[in-house]
Amino acid sequence: MRVRQAVALGAALTLTAVVSACSSSSGSGSGSSTVNWWTWDDKQAAAYKVCATDFEKANPGVTVKITQYNVVDYFTKLTAGFVANKAPDAFQNSVQFFPQYADQHQLLPLDDYIKKDSFDLSRFSVGVDSWKYTDGKQYGLPLDWAATGLYYNSDMLTKAGYSTKDVQNLNWNPDNGGTIGKMIAHLTLDTKGRRGDQAGFDKAHIKTYGFGQLAAKDFLGQSTWSSFVSTTGWRLGNKANWPTELNYNDPRLVKTMDWIRTLVAKGYAPKIGTFTNTVSDVDLLSSGKVAMETGGSWSASTFAKIPNIKVGIGPTVLGPDGKTRAVFSNSNGNTIWAGTKNPDLTWKWVSYMGSEACQTKASATGTFFPSIPASMAASAKALKAQGVDLTVFTDMLKNKELYPSPDFNNGAELQDAIEPLIEAYFGGQKNDSVFADMQAKTKSILTQK
Amino acid sequence: MVVTSQGNHATSVIPRSGEPGAVATTANSPAKRKSSPRRGRRPVATRSAAARRRDLPVALLLILPAVVGFATFYAYPTLRGIYLSFTEFHVLSPPRWVGLANFRELFGDDVFWHSLLVTAYFVLLSVVFGTLISLVTAVVLDRVTRSSVLRGVILLPFLISNVIAALVWQWMLDPTLGIVNIALKNLTGHSILFFGSGGWAIPSLAAISVWKWMGYYALLIFAGLQTIPPTIYEAGRVDGASEVQMFRRLTVPLLRPILIMVVVLTVINSFQVFDIVQVTTEGGPANASNVLQMYIYRKAFRQFDFGYAATMSLALFALLIAVTFTQLRLARANESDLN
Repeated sequence: MRVRQAVALGAALTLTAVVSACSSSSGSGSGSSTVNWWTWDDKQAAAYKVCATDFEKANPGVTVKITQYNVVDYFTKLTAGFVANKAPDAFQNSVQFFPQYADQHQLLPLDDYIKKDSFDLSRFSVGVDSWKYTDGKQYGLPLDWAATGLYYNSDMLTKAGYSTKDVQNLNWNPDNGGTIGKMIAHLTLDTKGRRGDQAGFDKAHIKTYGFGQLAAKDFLGQSTWSSFVSTTGWRLGNKANWPTELNYNDPRLVKTMDWIRTLVAKGYAPKIGTFTNTVSDVDLLSSGKVAMETGGSWSASTFAKIPNIKVGIGPTVLGPDGKTRAVFSNSNGNTIWAGTKNPDLTWKWVSYMGSEACQTKASATGTFFPSIPASMAASAKALKAQGVDLTVFTDMLKNKELYPSPDFNNGAELQDAIEPLIEAYFGGQKNDSVFADMQAKTKSILTQK
Repeated sequence: MVVTSQGNHATSVIPRSGEPGAVATTANSPAKRKSSPRRGRRPVATRSAAARRRDLPVALLLILPAVVGFATFYAYPTLRGIYLSFTEFHVLSPPRWVGLANFRELFGDDVFWHSLLVTAYFVLLSVVFGTLISLVTAVVLDRVTRSSVLRGVILLPFLISNVIAALVWQWMLDPTLGIVNIALKNLTGHSILFFGSGGWAIPSLAAISVWKWMGYYALLIFAGLQTIPPTIYEAGRVDGASEVQMFRRLTVPLLRPILIMVVVLTVINSFQVFDIVQVTTEGGPANASNVLQMYIYRKAFRQFDFGYAATMSLALFALLIAVTFTQLRLARANESDLN
């Protein structure tokens, strides 16, 4: 009997130990003067540390904790945080997830704070409207902006007989490709060294493609086809924000996609699937597989630092009329979690991040383009000293050639529904009729509640 | 700690109380062999009701951890999953009861049916080739060599995590840099988009899966082969049967219970394929490798449509149960031809 009791006691003790071990781990909450801020970009996490130090100095007793999670896990982790009541006080947010979070009341509307502090939103030149939800409230401050440009291998360009000046004014049309169409053909090389526009060119054995991945699973086309078709006046949504359908069946887009297919068929651009998704734009150019490609402004300093290859930046193409340039631009935002324990202090940090002082200091690293023009100018100057010329992008901003990406609901579902169809089109399993299907799908997804 | 005290309990209590039944739980304790010359289940039947009642609290206490674990990590999630499949649930707001709406959506969802077909195709390839290759490997191992080093080598792929295996194969099959495609290019002048073309995606994935599990199943079958008495083969040889004939007429029929187990395991395993797809093709191109688990994962963790994802998981669960039971029924898995 004594032994039996000992066993029971032992088991009970073990259980208690297990249970208390579980409960003790949840006791560590954030202190009243700590602001947690999350980002998915390791470089920005480092860049904003400068602001955090200044903010802590100006507000004694306050700690700012910046945490970075890889973008693959970032939004899952954030959602888990909302559910477990452990989300960060404020965080970098993407327009793709913004409607969902706002709709489910996870974001704090900033209007009251903006009014109380008379925070002037006009200091931002881009991105403010992207962070306004359908209820008319402002949920975020724009953190940055992005554009795309043409990145090219300078040596290959010179060898093909072009100068960097030629890249500055390329025009394009979906019928014969315009001057860029000619350039792409001439830049393409087969393994025997013949150019794409020469006799005997062997499209089955390509050494260097004239242009990078245009036939790609990319439903917004930001760094693939968007900068081409946008010059014709085509826009993704049927409205600038909160569209009810996306214009995939517009003849201008269909024609552009057909042009891309002929480009691929001639061997001037890689077939879909030739390069796996682990291969980045930077890899393509640095490996010499590609002579020119559309790339994001966010990669400008990475492209400039490719060893042994000189990469030039040109603006995206001019349209069929020879003078229109239109570039899709998106802005990430800084949002506050509705469940934060310190809304006042968090707003103080978020509004400080949105100040010229912080933006100028943080963006000097060239890891992002600040939405405040004065900071952008300072950032461009700092990067120029490092040998990265951002004039192409700052000019786009100055000449108002950027147009913002539309906000829409159910972004993830839309992407998962559209991309397989685009893949099927470029893979040759579907023809032009797929675009009507695509548009119908966007309509049903965008209008569902 | 619990285990040792249990041992003490068995050896010290029994001789004093004189109840052999109390040791029934610790089958191999020396006390049992000493105190009960009668073997089998007899002692349990003679236990008094009072003794059993006295054991109850301890018994309950001892199984409590297991029951708590089972209830928290299996029973509750399963029941909640079933409940969620009747709701619209986006994680951040509480679930809203929608009745059979998710099931109606399921029947009209082409992507779901397409995914089911893709999964079935994957299962078919993995089961047929997986079982055949493991069977042949095991028989060769058994008849040719019994080297334990070789057995270890064959088991190696099984020891590698799925994600690592998929990553390594992805690099080897890469259209531009992969060693397989470089070899193909030199031999035929063309490369194959193993993961990038609709026709190749599922066969490539199935090949990775077969490669990874082959060693494990071969070892199971190998163990089964050891249970076949050599006298049967001697008899076969006396009757003038060739190796191939003996394989078909003796080995395969006698291996039936093990083979059935292997087939059932492969079916369940391949229905649950996810990690290698997530690492290599992410369901593409054009949904060609969008297996059911992948689709469920995307619905739940990318689109946060947890209600619908739960419905699909429930459908998969029902399907797996049905398939497994039919298989076991049809194959008479619990019988052997050896006796």
